[in-house]
Amino acid sequence: MKKHFSFSESSRRDLLRLGMYGIGVSAAAVPMPLFAQAAAALAGQSKSAGKILVVLELSGGNDGLNTLVPYGDDAYYRLRPNIGIPRKEVRPIDDHFGFSRGMAGFERLYKSGNLAIVHGCGYENPSFSHFTSMAYWHTAAPNSGEPYGWVGRLADEMAPEAPPNFIVNIDTRQSLAVRSRHHVPVVFDDPNKFSQEVFFDEREALKPSSEGVKPSSNEAPIANPSRRFLLDTAQSARQASALVREAWSRYHSPVDYGIVGLDLPKVAALIEAGMPTRLYYTAYRNNAFDTHVFQNDTHKRLLTYASDAVAAFLKDLERIGRADDVVVMVFSEFGRRVPENVNLGTDHGAANLMFVAGKQVKGGQYGTVPSLTKMDAGDNLVFTTDFRRVYATMIAGWLGLKDTRQLLNGEFEPFDMFRSA
Amino acid sequence: MLRRIEAVLIAAAVATAIHPHAAIAQSAGPAGWQNDLKPIAPADWNYDFAAHLLERAGFGGTPDEVQALAKLTPAQAVARLVRFQGTDAGHLPAFDHSGIHDPGLEPFPPSRPAVTDQAKKNGEALGIKVKPAGSRRVQPVVNEFFYWLRASALETNRVAYWWANRMLTSPQPLREKMALFWHGHFAVNEPKVRDYRKLLDQLELFEAQGTGNFRDLMVAVAQDPAMLTFLDAGVNVKGAANENFAREIMEMFTMGVGHYTETDIREAARAFTGWNYVDLKFVVNKDQHDDGEKTFLGKTGHFDGVNVIDIIMQQPATADFIAGKIYRFFVREELSPQLQKQLGSLLRDHDYQITPLLETIFLSRDFYSPASVGTHIKGPVELAVSSYRKLGLGNVPGVPDFNVATGALGQRLFAPPTVAGWGSGTSWITPGLLLERANFGRDVLFPDINFLPPDRYTADPEVRRVADRIRQGMDISTATKPDGKSGDLAESNMAADRDEDFNTRYGSFRSWQMAIERVKPIPRDAAQINLSRMVLDQHLKDTTQVVDYMIHRFMRVPASGEAREKMIAFLNKELGTTDISVAQTYLEDPLRLVLHLIMSQPEYQLG
Repeated sequence: MKKHFSFSESSRRDLLRLGMYGIGVSAAAVPMPLFAQAAAALAGQSKSAGKILVVLELSGGNDGLNTLVPYGDDAYYRLRPNIGIPRKEVRPIDDHFGFSRGMAGFERLYKSGNLAIVHGCGYENPSFSHFTSMAYWHTAAPNSGEPYGWVGRLADEMAPEAPPNFIVNIDTRQSLAVRSRHHVPVVFDDPNKFSQEVFFDEREALKPSSEGVKPSSNEAPIANPSRRFLLDTAQSARQASALVREAWSRYHSPVDYGIVGLDLPKVAALIEAGMPTRLYYTAYRNNAFDTHVFQNDTHKRLLTYASDAVAAFLKDLERIGRADDVVVMVFSEFGRRVPENVNLGTDHGAANLMFVAGKQVKGGQYGTVPSLTKMDAGDNLVFTTDFRRVYATMIAGWLGLKDTRQLLNGEFEPFDMFRSA
Repeated sequence: MLRRIEAVLIAAAVATAIHPHAAIAQSAGPAGWQNDLKPIAPADWNYDFAAHLLERAGFGGTPDEVQALAKLTPAQAVARLVRFQGTDAGHLPAFDHSGIHDPGLEPFPPSRPAVTDQAKKNGEALGIKVKPAGSRRVQPVVNEFFYWLRASALETNRVAYWWANRMLTSPQPLREKMALFWHGHFAVNEPKVRDYRKLLDQLELFEAQGTGNFRDLMVAVAQDPAMLTFLDAGVNVKGAANENFAREIMEMFTMGVGHYTETDIREAARAFTGWNYVDLKFVVNKDQHDDGEKTFLGKTGHFDGVNVIDIIMQQPATADFIAGKIYRFFVREELSPQLQKQLGSLLRDHDYQITPLLETIFLSRDFYSPASVGTHIKGPVELAVSSYRKLGLGNVPGVPDFNVATGALGQRLFAPPTVAGWGSGTSWITPGLLLERANFGRDVLFPDINFLPPDRYTADPEVRRVADRIRQGMDISTATKPDGKSGDLAESNMAADRDEDFNTRYGSFRSWQMAIERVKPIPRDAAQINLSRMVLDQHLKDTTQVVDYMIHRFMRVPASGEAREKMIAFLNKELGTTDISVAQTYLEDPLRLVLHLIMSQPEYQLG
């Protein structure tokens, strides 16, 4: 029987062995107190102890109308004579809506009561720019300026002492969403590459000083802000890399995530290994959903991949035994314009669906369906739910931080979306 | 305690002996120089200032190259770099095409379903006829479709190598650095453009006009087939304006968000209707151009795209935006609004000529202030090229693969993820990427003997599996079935192409085979490094001098005192002595390890 690696059960010997995998992660640099510290941070949030939030961003502006098709609405077919998905091709969930053909996973989740669909999410004065609108979603500060991301600010509130590895962002670069005042998010893309491979003889020379960032006594304090940033990051890299690589090498799942697993297997691997992370952020990257031309083939494929990946992830969590502790929130920076364009595609729009999936989710449809006949001046859907209400639902309803007024800079009433209060 | 002071003094003396104008720490002007655009005086000029200038206006250089600049006056040094005075890049070779394009490929269809529909409807596509009888009648068309995608991608990698070699060897490095800036600004990527020729043409445009006039450059880029493809301009037609092109021109390329309305975008889109390309030539399809009256940014007229660009240039926001972006790329991220306005005025007053702006910046006190010196976090391409320059290499090594290495660090030439280009500054750095940068150093100094050239060996396990099975004599249907996983197959794996007219998985394999036949291989030589020679030529006597020399040569911001001491101790251990003359016959490996330690320091990322 293969020995199952788990941080919480690590012996000191395991930690020493860990040092072999990542430079600087000697027993001295990753002492037991580190894990004890992380455990204490978890214990402090008694109601939400162990609860994990995974955010999946679909970048590019996912077309909600062709994701959950309002096949019962004539206006949909009138406005999309060419790219509207025919009734017989959708997977119906009721007598009005049906999922895109490829989304078997989401259909299954919905019918088993584990998928919440929130209609008409958006914000006042919507921006049609990818970068701007995504930045608003990342900061939960639409039409405003805010240097830190909502997930970063959330981490600052949940764990002000900023234990390491609290946020994991799987990507080639750090998302604004996780930018934090106090936390250094662990950011990596390929767990296999998340290590510095040093030759045996170099280990001593590359071992970090015990103080890490602080300069030795006969050196001036670090005035160069770029240098200070680099030293902070190096310290975070040392701590996280060994843990991540070990978790990944131990992870062997029979679950089929489909053609594009997105990064959810990596999240599953870390959860299985007992990583103390509470907030995970991943994305379907590079504006993949920006379907301006010849939309249907591409969009169907993208949705299939996303649906497969999320459904598989939840199945994997069941296998791991953590299905009760994890919730996945799926969003996009805007929906798309209701009428199709002449290139069999769609242009940037406004209000869109959000999805929340998980064993503890009370599945169903939330919010108010936006009208396909009373749209804005540009023929875009008018939002009926401020997206920050869904954020508040995650923060207060799932993670247990009841007062979100300061974090979200306003009053946003959470939905009653979870089984365990 | 005494020993430490002694060591510091000796190091200072050594450093001063090597470079008369150097001190051990990075040299910069006084703090009060920040935001001051007045030029420095010739008396201020020294080796470190010259090194700083070469680092930013180019990709850094060897001590000899820096010394050559240090000998000039500041004005002469800047004129050499910015106006190319006294330099000639004419001997650099033109790009050597593999010859992969077939005339029948134009116009290239937007997707595989589009090409197979075209084939079924017309009996041919991409210059290839559909077979009149037999199985998989459309397969040759499908193979040709995928062939072009693969071959263009591989050839683009060769264009990237050609460009990287120019960055490394050009006597006019600013031309290449400015091209890199414009490439990140007017970002397009190969996966969408799907034509290496368009990317090469755009690069040559940046190299030729990158330090010229911004208004002319903007017009040229707006009419450039790579950009027209990338922003779906070709489908922007009268009666159905596609806003993507107009939006990005205004939001990303000229003014930035907040200086126009959605109506302005729609009106501008109308002005650009009919703008298209045929093969590699810009055309305006008059019958698709909306020449009606438009109101744009407060002006009314029968505007076309060029008129729109000229109106954009009249906005103060444009000069401020562009000048600010140039400043952040070459100087530092933090830019006060007042300084940005000053720089914008400079650009505007010179009718958008870029050279005067650059000259002012590179001669300014602000440029040599402590806020600007040693605070720039190098992007991946910059990091790789400056490392190669400081090693004195004559060409970009084939191992590690330049594109794979820089891509792993987050910046692959011709592959910016979106029209926003890449980030900059701290966004280049995450814990994972910091580790990866150190690994890059290791891959250069100790080439991986198990290296597999990506232009000969595909990483796609699906394609390799099909290749094996075909070679074993399996039929195409069996050879292309996906590997079953336990449990339910995901929907996407079950929905494999069932159309009997062709098999996409087979096409995926065969096209790879066709592409590697025609695309020239990238030479896979490792870096020709001789650190022993470098150290012995300097007549360095002991390990402390060696480490100090190497830190000074390769780092713009030195490592911490503790790291330096560890390196000296390390070298002592590796050599078994502190005396270089004793160790001179076995110096190479230990020196490479020291250099790897240097390239592993967080401070190595700073320029």
